[in-house]
Amino acid sequence: MPKAAIVDISKCTACRGCQVACKQWNDRPGVTTTNRGTYENPPHLSADTWTRIEFYEVGKDGGVEWFFRKHQCMHCTDASCVAVCPVGAMHKEGEFTINNHDWCIGCGYCVEACPFDAVHKSHGGGTAQKCWFCFDRVTNDMVPACVKTCPPGAIQFGERSDMISMGRQRVQELISAGKPNAYLYGETEVGGTGWLYVLPERPSLLGLPDAPRVATSMVIPQWISGVVAAGVIAALPFYWLFRRKKSLEGSQSNVGGER
Amino acid sequence: MEIAWGPLIYLYLWLAGIGGGAFFSAFLIDRFTGGQNKSLVKLATYIAFPLTSVGVLLLIADLGMPTRFWHLLTRFYVTTPMSLGSWILIFFVGISVVLIILWWWLATRQSNFLSAVERFLVWIEVVFSALVMTYTGVLLAVSGQGLWAGTVILPALFVASATSTGLAATLIAATVRGSRDASRELLLKLSEADAIVILLELVALIGFMIWLATSSVAGASQALAVITMGGLAIPLWLGVVIVGLLIPLALEFWGWGKSIATKNLWPAIITSSTLVLIGGLILRAVIVIGGQVG
Repeated sequence: MPKAAIVDISKCTACRGCQVACKQWNDRPGVTTTNRGTYENPPHLSADTWTRIEFYEVGKDGGVEWFFRKHQCMHCTDASCVAVCPVGAMHKEGEFTINNHDWCIGCGYCVEACPFDAVHKSHGGGTAQKCWFCFDRVTNDMVPACVKTCPPGAIQFGERSDMISMGRQRVQELISAGKPNAYLYGETEVGGTGWLYVLPERPSLLGLPDAPRVATSMVIPQWISGVVAAGVIAALPFYWLFRRKKSLEGSQSNVGGER
Repeated sequence: MEIAWGPLIYLYLWLAGIGGGAFFSAFLIDRFTGGQNKSLVKLATYIAFPLTSVGVLLLIADLGMPTRFWHLLTRFYVTTPMSLGSWILIFFVGISVVLIILWWWLATRQSNFLSAVERFLVWIEVVFSALVMTYTGVLLAVSGQGLWAGTVILPALFVASATSTGLAATLIAATVRGSRDASRELLLKLSEADAIVILLELVALIGFMIWLATSSVAGASQALAVITMGGLAIPLWLGVVIVGLLIPLALEFWGWGKSIATKNLWPAIITSSTLVLIGGLILRAVIVIGGQVG
């Protein structure tokens, strides 16, 4: 049975223990940052920061609601990073999306293809880096480091079907508690994701695409666009100017060159 | 927001576009004039081979693990533009090398067989030139970035720009080399063709913007705002539209007047073609950077 993790946004306190646990378990170095006037830190995911808590302010009834969303690789079933990887380094190990760092060429295509901005490459080169779901832990009957450390229990890990049931129930509770836009994100998006979210608000208000798309979903229309353009260019300027004018000139008397 | 693809990538996209566009346009001119401009095809190949080769080297240099570039040649994934593109580039550059060797060989020797091989390879090469031009756009469009993936017009825009910049490179080379490769009449026609391609590129650029403005793809309209009204607005409007498209168009319209003196024609062509090349580079820089900061 596939595993999954679920983050209940309504329970997260932004303690950022998950960030520290991730760095410790996966041996990622700290990042030097400057005060940007927010406790949200580091400023973005990177090759060295695989998860972080994002802060969102949503205006409501003249006031502001503050939400915290854990950001990391979603481990999509239809993973764009896997779909575009030109060497097959980014791949699926069951439900987990893993990069083979011994084979990755560091082209950065997975970085550009991810609809969740979850894959990163170091400026100094190297391979693509992202959350790997603590693959070494979950394949040894342990939960991911971030799940293990979460003090309010906002992150849970287990059978995907159980996580979905738990998420649906929590969404119903939120709707009953006056959150009509509450939504279980990741159940069906991009084929279903390994990380699910209980969202108290619409996805786009919390930094998630409302309708994420697999990067290769439009690959045929994109190719057709270029080939049709090449055809139009061949037909219009070149055929029109050179072939047609040549035939017109052939039917008329030559009035002489310009030299 | 980190930028994974920087100057090496947009330089590469520009160079590969020029290479593909030069061969594509020269081939069409030669075919549509009944094979009277074979020297133009050769000239375009001499442009395409070094530029595309340098572009490929830049692409390798941009890899996080450059010494592993050969991994690309151990796989073939048809739905992955970078995998497909690697093979397209290998064939495009490889055939250009073979053609150059064949032309060198046939310049002093007769061989019906090798002449037939050469004619066949020219036809194959034009297919790959169109694929190189298209691939540079598809590479970006098949992604999660709103500016690139929010419309299907991007490959068409890049094909138009590639043809225009390729033709501009051929025009400069033909003008510099003088009447050996192109008569005054042909230069005027090439310039006229470039003007029409520029008009088509303008149409594609407008279509690209309209499509993005109305796109439901996440981040598309925000990224459009960055390139049209934000930090990249000046490079777009001044560099791409005015310098790269409108001024060359005006110069080429001016050049169409058949009464233009030859001594004025050549500077006009060199100026407009250089501006087209600069505009093509800025276009790719704006699109590549804009896609990642939008």
